[in-house]
Amino acid sequence: MNPNQNPDSDERLRSVLREWVVDAPLPPRFQEQVWKRIARAEAPSESSFWTALARLVEVVLPRPKIAFSYVAALLVLGVTAGSVTAQIKSSHLDATLRARYVQAVDPYRADSPQP
Amino acid sequence: MKKGGLILLFGLLLGTAGFSGFYYLGTAPCRSMIHGPQPELAWLKKEFALSDAEFARISALHEAYVPQCAERCRVTEQQNRKLKELLAKNPTVTPEIQNLLDERARNRAQCEAEMLKHFQEVSRAMPPEQGRRYLAWVQEQTVLRGQAMENRHKMGGGGHMMDMTKEPHL
Repeated sequence: MNPNQNPDSDERLRSVLREWVVDAPLPPRFQEQVWKRIARAEAPSESSFWTALARLVEVVLPRPKIAFSYVAALLVLGVTAGSVTAQIKSSHLDATLRARYVQAVDPYRADSPQP
Repeated sequence: MKKGGLILLFGLLLGTAGFSGFYYLGTAPCRSMIHGPQPELAWLKKEFALSDAEFARISALHEAYVPQCAERCRVTEQQNRKLKELLAKNPTVTPEIQNLLDERARNRAQCEAEMLKHFQEVSRAMPPEQGRRYLAWVQEQTVLRGQAMENRHKMGGGGHMMDMTKEPHL
């Protein structure tokens, strides 16, 4: 048992506290300020997403396995997106050149490209 | 935060580099074709897998064909202009207009015949299989297909052929 928690001294402390009178005035609008702080504490935090993200970057991302997976995933995503976009662009250019050849050899098609 | 931020940035940079690299490599052949001297012929070379010798022969044929084609276009344009003038003066089909229409039709027929000859020459300059593929494709793509008029009548937009084909069923 903690010596400070002696039942006798506890009793003495209680009697002192009972006699204690607070005569210092409260700061102005004390009650209003208290209620405001309670309301702020109870309101859902608007920045919870950013807090979670920051925590993710700060705590989770530096773990070796997570870091490797994250980098690998972004690399695969970039490479795949680059290949697909290049394919789309190439087929578009291919169609344009095909139409240009047809226009070059057929004067009647010169105004109506057929990609 | 510093280490995590660096990993975040590194991942994004690597992803962007992967995208750019594969896009650049993937579009390189097309970009080199489009910036070449004759992109449409470069396309033909790629599409029909032509050797350099075949490509040189086809390019020469193309170079010879294009000025003749341009000359026939010039004649057609003159005929069109003259026809427009005559039609503005005369509300009926005069012998002069009739002659001009005949002339223009002859010019067009000659143009189509020359076009077909050119396509056949080009196809002969290709490997046999590719030549056949080219000829089938080019005839399908050009005015030689002649589908516009047929479709016009098939669609029934005031065309009499549709009515004629329907008649026996009525």
